[in-house]
Amino acid sequence: MPAETPPAAELVGITKRFGPVLANDGVDLSIARGEIHALVGENGAGKSTLMSVLYGLHRPDSGRILRNGSPVRLRSPADAIAHGLGMVHQRFRLFPGLTVAENVVIGAEPTRRGVLDLAAAREEVERLGELYGLRADPSAVVRDLPIGVRQRVEILKALHRRAEVLILDEPTAVLTPGEAARLFEVLRAVTRAGLSVVLVTHRLGEVLAVGDRVTVLRGGRVTGRFTVAETTADELVVAMIGRSASPARHPGRRAAAGTPYALEVRELTVRDRDGVARLSGVSFGVRAGEIVGVAGVAGSGQRELVDAVTGLHPPGPRDAGAVLLSGRPVLRREAAVAYVPEDRHGRATAADMSLAENLVMGDQRSPGLRRGPGLSAAAVRDRARELVGRFAIRAASVDAPISTLSGGNAQKAVLARELSRRTPVIVIEEPTQGVDVGAQEQIHALLAEARDRGQAVLLQSSELGELRALADRILVMYGGRIVAQIPGDEATDERLGAAMAGTAA
Amino acid sequence: MNILEPAFVAAVLTAAAPVILAALGGLLCSVSGVFNMALEGQLLWGAFTAVVLSHLTGSAWWGVAGAVTATALYAAVLSVPAVTFRADPVVVAVGANLLALGLTAFLMREILGVGGTYTSPGLDGLPTLAEAGLGGVPVIGPVLGPQSPLVLVTPVLVAAAAWWLRHTRSGLRLRGIGEHPEAAGSLGLRVGPYRHGAVLAAGALCGLAGAQLALGNVTLFSEGMSAGRGWVAVVAVMLGGTRPYRVAAACLLFGAAEAFGFRLQGAGLPQQAADAAPYVITLLALVAAGAASRRRHAARPRLEAP
Amino acid sequence: MSANAGDRVDARRVARALASPAVLAVAGALALTTLVMPLAGVDPARAYPALLDGALGPGNLEYTIAAFVPTLGMALAFAIPFRTGEFNLGGDGQMALGGVAAAALALYAPLPAGIAVVVPLAAAALTGALVAGISAPLRTRLGIPAIVSTLLVSTPAVALASYLVRFPMAEPGTGIAQTPPLPEAAHLPALGGSGYLTIGLPVVAALTAAWLYADARTVLGYEIRATGANREFARYGGVAVDRLAVVTLAGGGAFAGLVGGLIVLGPPFRFVDGALTAPGYTFTAIAAVLLATGRPPAVPLTVALVTILQVGGQGMEREAGVPSQLTQIIQGLVIVIVAVLATVRARTRTRTRAGEPAGTAGRPGEAGTPA
Repeated sequence: MPAETPPAAELVGITKRFGPVLANDGVDLSIARGEIHALVGENGAGKSTLMSVLYGLHRPDSGRILRNGSPVRLRSPADAIAHGLGMVHQRFRLFPGLTVAENVVIGAEPTRRGVLDLAAAREEVERLGELYGLRADPSAVVRDLPIGVRQRVEILKALHRRAEVLILDEPTAVLTPGEAARLFEVLRAVTRAGLSVVLVTHRLGEVLAVGDRVTVLRGGRVTGRFTVAETTADELVVAMIGRSASPARHPGRRAAAGTPYALEVRELTVRDRDGVARLSGVSFGVRAGEIVGVAGVAGSGQRELVDAVTGLHPPGPRDAGAVLLSGRPVLRREAAVAYVPEDRHGRATAADMSLAENLVMGDQRSPGLRRGPGLSAAAVRDRARELVGRFAIRAASVDAPISTLSGGNAQKAVLARELSRRTPVIVIEEPTQGVDVGAQEQIHALLAEARDRGQAVLLQSSELGELRALADRILVMYGGRIVAQIPGDEATDERLGAAMAGTAA
Repeated sequence: MNILEPAFVAAVLTAAAPVILAALGGLLCSVSGVFNMALEGQLLWGAFTAVVLSHLTGSAWWGVAGAVTATALYAAVLSVPAVTFRADPVVVAVGANLLALGLTAFLMREILGVGGTYTSPGLDGLPTLAEAGLGGVPVIGPVLGPQSPLVLVTPVLVAAAAWWLRHTRSGLRLRGIGEHPEAAGSLGLRVGPYRHGAVLAAGALCGLAGAQLALGNVTLFSEGMSAGRGWVAVVAVMLGGTRPYRVAAACLLFGAAEAFGFRLQGAGLPQQAADAAPYVITLLALVAAGAASRRRHAARPRLEAP
Repeated sequence: MSANAGDRVDARRVARALASPAVLAVAGALALTTLVMPLAGVDPARAYPALLDGALGPGNLEYTIAAFVPTLGMALAFAIPFRTGEFNLGGDGQMALGGVAAAALALYAPLPAGIAVVVPLAAAALTGALVAGISAPLRTRLGIPAIVSTLLVSTPAVALASYLVRFPMAEPGTGIAQTPPLPEAAHLPALGGSGYLTIGLPVVAALTAAWLYADARTVLGYEIRATGANREFARYGGVAVDRLAVVTLAGGGAFAGLVGGLIVLGPPFRFVDGALTAPGYTFTAIAAVLLATGRPPAVPLTVALVTILQVGGQGMEREAGVPSQLTQIIQGLVIVIVAVLATVRARTRTRTRAGEPAGTAGRPGEAGTPA
């Protein structure tokens, strides 16, 4: 890089605070023309916030943004687009009912005598596709396309708007390894044409495979800047997680192999509404006193598995196999299965109900809360106060709506409710997502305690460290099947990663 | 009776025209992502303002123009709360429908000086196409002859809406805004103005529908004369989704049911059977569509409000 | 609502109550109406006293209380399903067929005194429950929103009631669309010596109290509230949400049917075609429930308020020459304003809560997320 060329984009001293949380603390980031710049860090390190600042979604409390050396003000994504920035969000922002061509041009449409020029739009899609290897049928409706192609449409959308700096937020989280490899080829083609790419990820393998330079964030600060050619994975890990390495392991006593399963899944096949199998012949069991982990790239069937096991979507007429709870088939939500969902707002809480009312859901029919024909308000409140104390939930009052709690405390409330019921089976998804490090360790201890008490725990997590720390066995899912079963103490990132990619036996 | 006989076809078109116009408005709102359940009140308001302006000016065409303007303005009762303040559009619509019922009945007594039904020989209705010389033409004469020009305008507006949504910049943007407002907003599209525009356009169309109802189908205003047609339009939008021709087809089904109901009455059945027929048929159509969608998907169909 | 004499007046509580969306909405609607009145040639200084006198003046109060009973019943018909988020707009049809059922039993199956009132009322409630209950499977199995299906069922139901009363059940020889007078045994006992008030008042009051208790203090009430607050959350907690749709819609319909029965068994002790639906109880009651903004104990109060407006409106028409439809205008305005204020307040509440990183508050995009 010649020294006189200014960086394509530069962030200087960015600080952004959300209430008490300092998400970015004086972050500097410089993206050169024609490079793939990886931005890495663990969940909550501040990557998303930084990129939201660069894309005009958040205004920084202090700091400057420069494009090609001159300062710019980005008050909205529209401003960012106008300044040649393009972003591919983790949750795509496509219009499912529109065609590929319409999605690409909307907001910057070619017209001829005032009429939308759809032919020109299709040609534009084909031209850009040719140029960068981004093939997509311009007339296809986005709703019908596989995830990988939808991502290409997102990139095409940015390129059509003449983006010169392309930001991709965790682009491979939803891709199969084959699709990911194709994406990397596209990114190389894009940078060869002189554009810049910011690759936000927490997967070090991809950084080393396609990145030119890396910036590492931890706790909202930059903890390392490296040139990929001159660094190693170990060096990046240290910068990402600091010296404390992965979470402490909580080994369990091996459950006796002969004991019956508390939860068993037999040859389960689940189809979606279009008849496509999302789970194929899945079989496994969880014994009392055991934590079984579930790993896999997002969309490998974990969600369908959890929905079936918890009875929220029991196997229907088009499905096959069974979910058994102590030998009995699960056909509905069972009080014997506690469940901590990933979707805290949509599923695990009702924002407008009080903390106390949220804390009894699932247990509302238990005799301990009754008084005559009614639900005793006093008993509900007492239960809530006890849980608030025992699990150190910070709340103004148990009568205040749960929406007044912070995210971490709301998560603790959900955990308190589900763990305190001492059900034979616990199903838990992403227990520490969006939770700070201190609370993380607390939650891990609680889960280990539940296991040691004799509960059967099914733990789905995308954090491999978490699975290694807690699980006695780890099931790896790929394409709706269980492709590997690895004992917790033998699981390495490499072994898990290979299985998740669907490449290992 | 022969359902292809010209008089019956004519009756179907007469009954369907106001519903199609109102439903077209509902469709625009639905495309933009606003669930418009206020069509019933807007239709009533349109009918009322059409009669009042025809009464005041002595010209049915001024009545039409006035109804279109006044109902577009009245649509702000829905659009400002629902779009600007993001209030629940269903609750607002319940209020707006009640308000229209009260306002028309109140103002009728204040302006026209009567309650119940207002009609007068001096009230100018819309001309028929027969008067324009179409009556003598074979086949189409008996079908279109008794219709007002607005009935002829109706299919033109349906086709125009279908074309506009597909082939113009603003049509594409409106569709995008309805599908994913956040994404549209981040591309710099202004969600609010487009939605206000859709709701006000729906008001204008309901004004036209009301004018056709009060000055075309008949020449009078009576309290509550929209008589559920706005709700049928809502159902038509649920059945036809965002496709104008399908929505119009659903409305024609309703028109056929209403015309059929009149025939039943003519055949000696009580008037109540005629009153009920359109609703029963509309409900059956909804059930059939719901069941078909359920068969196709086995999961919950997508009939629900956006 | 305890009027404990020892209570100190808590100024902040009073201020908060005054600033509630309900109070502001009524104030706003009245202010708007008052501003518009002179344009219509109405003198507010004459209209409002006439309104109050028409509702609460000597001789009128009894009539207002009599009108309060069906309005409260219809408020429950709407409020019960509304607690799970379903709109029951079909009260008219449920009420009319309930009335027909009560009249038919009283006329054609004469029963001994004592149960001659109870059985027709039970039949009326059951009929209303069935008419409304149809909408539950339409909602849960076919995805047709209750707001549409209840309304579409209502018109044919009213037409059917009208047909039955005009033809098969009509009083022979008079040509008036009404049934013959019901036998004495089926008359609702009057309260005291009143010409308007019957035991319908204590019956509906007791049932309302039972509903308030059930809503706030029972498992069923909890599950209904949870379903209304977040359907997915309730399902997650093991609530049979589809069964609750049946229970609440049928429960609401039962109240509407009961109201029909109470009207028919009350003076003038017969089913007069149109007499049930003409006063517009259904929508007046909906206005009252929406005005209560999700607080069931407030429903009797808001029903009292809208009844005063409604009955007073007729007095205003008599005394001040103001068309009584003015009260419908006020009700419509109240609903629109309360809808706006409720969202504005909900939004200021979320804004004051501690900020969270981006993305958690916004509605997640649906496009492109893996199923």
